[in-house]
Amino acid sequence: MMCWYPRRWRDRYGDEFAALMEDAVGDGPPTLGFKVSIARAGLREHIHGSGLFGDRTPAAERVRAGSLLVLCTWTIFVLAGASFSKVSEHFAQAMPVSSRPFAQGAFDVVATLSFVGGFLVILGASAALPAFVRFIRGGGWSTVRGHVLRAIALTLLSLGVVIPLSLWAHHLNELQRNGADPTYSGVFVIWAVVVAATLAQWTAAGVAVARRVALPRGVLRLEAVLAITLAGAMAVMTVAAALWWGSLAQNAPWFLQGTANGTSPSPFTPQLAVTLALMTISVVGAGYGVMRVTGSWTELRAS
Amino acid sequence: MAGKRTPAGLRRPNDPPVLILTSLAAGPKHGHALAKDIEDFAGVALGPGALYGAITRLEERGLIEPLTTDDRRRPYRITGAGSAALADAVTNMRQLADVGASRLGLTLGTLS
Repeated sequence: MMCWYPRRWRDRYGDEFAALMEDAVGDGPPTLGFKVSIARAGLREHIHGSGLFGDRTPAAERVRAGSLLVLCTWTIFVLAGASFSKVSEHFAQAMPVSSRPFAQGAFDVVATLSFVGGFLVILGASAALPAFVRFIRGGGWSTVRGHVLRAIALTLLSLGVVIPLSLWAHHLNELQRNGADPTYSGVFVIWAVVVAATLAQWTAAGVAVARRVALPRGVLRLEAVLAITLAGAMAVMTVAAALWWGSLAQNAPWFLQGTANGTSPSPFTPQLAVTLALMTISVVGAGYGVMRVTGSWTELRAS
Repeated sequence: MAGKRTPAGLRRPNDPPVLILTSLAAGPKHGHALAKDIEDFAGVALGPGALYGAITRLEERGLIEPLTTDDRRRPYRITGAGSAALADAVTNMRQLADVGASRLGLTLGTLS
């Protein structure tokens, strides 16, 4: 039952907590209610120890937690961005020439800032690399091995599927690639889920490493600045994507629904709605991470 | 005044931290003894998860400290800061009780 608790908590309190549970349960097996209360308390310790709530954890931990939260929301944002990229393929050709510049400008903002975001993440990882190497040399590999190996396995699976999938797609026409071939669509969805799981697992591995690595104060401050910048980029991209949708809704709604040019279907599509919702949720989460970082900034600088 | 947090963050009389500090004010105890004592004087049954969640927070704030022992059942004792925090909490509760009693026309016993 103590598996619900963070490792650090178990190291400190595990023995005495186990003794208390034995005293509380007595001779009989623990009830379901007892197990649920232990699981709930364990998850509360995870939340408390994450550095995302309260002010009892050191400022450096709160800044680290806020920055990592931005990284996690970026992962969700990347998935939403991939969906946006798919939905917006060849949109310019469907639009009247006079109304293209606004939509193209909004799209270009999303595209450009997506590269900027990726660059910021790579820069952050590079800045933490020396500390990571020290961590591995100090015997830290065993504590993160599971996360990293799972991420590598999922990556190999994703790559193993993408080549035959690409070859298959090459032999299909555009209609078949965009839903007319149910078998291809089904396999594509499965592959997309595997890619999403791969991204999530690499993010989990990154968080597991980042929480254990001792980052110098200067690197921690740099990570904080990168996190704030990344959150800002995500917010701007979300607004730009919404403006792109608005422009298409006004000037080429037929493109959004895949109907004939000149028709006026509803501009609402579930895929776009889910995409914008995911972007918005990511921005809100990143915003909380930024608040966590900036709220602890003064204390970190003074330390 | 009523419902206001003390500087140590203690508020309601049935807050697990308040109950634990009250129990430890009578002497060091380990987890099971704490739970039994709290159930006896307050009628509150704290499960292991809630009890140790509160013990963790109290130790982080320096209001209680563990005692060295060879037994798995580690006893805790209240610190000076913990005594001061409990005194603040009890004073707040007494003020609330006095206001309530006077408005109801009740007579509360004096503290010895």
